[in-house]
Amino acid sequence: MASAMGREREGVDLDDAWQAIEACYEQGWTDGLPAVPPTEALVERMLAAGPWAEDDVLLFEPARDRAVTAYKAAVNAVMAGCRPEYFPVVGAALAAIGDPTFELHGPATSTGGAALMVIVNGPVRQRLGFHSKANLFGPGFRANATIGRTLRLVLLNCLDCRPGVLDKSTQGWPGKYSLCFAEDEEASPWEPLSVARGFRPGQSTVTVFAAESGHNVLSHGTARPERLLALFADTMAGLGSLSPGRSVVVFAPEHAGHLAGEGWSRARTQAWLYEHAWRSLADLKRTGKVEPAFFSNPRLLEWLYRHHAAGVPSTPPDPATAERITAEDAEARVHRGLGPDDILLCVGGGEAGGHSAFFPSWSRGRSVPFITKEVPS
Amino acid sequence: MTRILDPTLRTVRVAGVVPLAPRPPRLAGASIGLLANGKSNAMTLLDRVAQILGERHAIEEVVRVAKTNASVPVTEEEAEALLKRCGAVVTAIGD
Repeated sequence: MASAMGREREGVDLDDAWQAIEACYEQGWTDGLPAVPPTEALVERMLAAGPWAEDDVLLFEPARDRAVTAYKAAVNAVMAGCRPEYFPVVGAALAAIGDPTFELHGPATSTGGAALMVIVNGPVRQRLGFHSKANLFGPGFRANATIGRTLRLVLLNCLDCRPGVLDKSTQGWPGKYSLCFAEDEEASPWEPLSVARGFRPGQSTVTVFAAESGHNVLSHGTARPERLLALFADTMAGLGSLSPGRSVVVFAPEHAGHLAGEGWSRARTQAWLYEHAWRSLADLKRTGKVEPAFFSNPRLLEWLYRHHAAGVPSTPPDPATAERITAEDAEARVHRGLGPDDILLCVGGGEAGGHSAFFPSWSRGRSVPFITKEVPS
Repeated sequence: MTRILDPTLRTVRVAGVVPLAPRPPRLAGASIGLLANGKSNAMTLLDRVAQILGERHAIEEVVRVAKTNASVPVTEEEAEALLKRCGAVVTAIGD
């Protein structure tokens, strides 16, 4: 069958829809869930809903020289179940994870098992029906589910991030199927996340993050900001994922309301969380979180020793130092991240319930930055 | 009859993507590059590979390059250095 451009397209010819679904499995094209058979007509409709020509490259992954065109993105978006009008959001999300500073090859392949989180802001939320309320990270909402799933299918099909082959996630987590949600801007006491990240009010954006699995932060017992935030800081300082990397905190509307009631700004909240999310260097050493290899990395050395009485070592310490605990180590604070800007705050979830979430960055190192891109109209 | 379209890149050739170089016919007399892919134990692994290669082939010399970040490609300068000096390059990740 020829395309609108007269090009013969590679594919598999089948008699009926059920065979087509099975063929997607047989070809190794799915994430384990059934995929919508990507027929020519559906792919053409998807492509037509975006501003791109089919050969435009939406994502280039330099470590393995992979260029994902709008056409291939459209095939995967159809398979994921996207409606055509979602395609501009898919393209923006691919551009975001393809930003060179995102260094996609790491989170796409590492044992850390990162999910690609997509946070949606702006009027596109209402226009396309993105969900920002009850069961925020759970099932039930087509735009959230299928756009997040498209990114994973692109990684599987176009970047060959097959589990156990190129995707070496030790365990991974269910967010790797799909992790896309909208901010509940209307329930937020602050400017929308997109505005905090430099975009105009009224612009629609996607913000991406390479995320480890989320941690619930449960509090029904206090409306006082410092008590409430102490719970968040404690969760963020968990040694299992303590790193110099970034954090995403998604406040439930109820928790956000407690902060708003006392006039806490976004910046004050970020600063407070950074200041209080720390463990002692002794704690890190005691639990094997200080690796001798860190000592040859100036940024990690700075992270470990910036609050140490002896100062940051000018030369790499002896490897044995990784396990030798001194009195000064017990007093030296090692914070999560390198500063308040490493903590991204947004708001979402059901109107009822004191359940928020903290997502640590992928990797035991610095990991990759938050990237925000505008959704093209 | 319905055709479903291939979502993979296996059949796609994109301008700018460089194919793999042909395998060298022999290693005797060649300089071998060791490209450590940015993890802390990669060069340890590669050194052992070089030792085995040295036992089996009369290789000329070994050129070591260590990336600082496993998530990004080798730099132009690093690639250029390997290209100029080496007949073959072995790369590895050792976490």
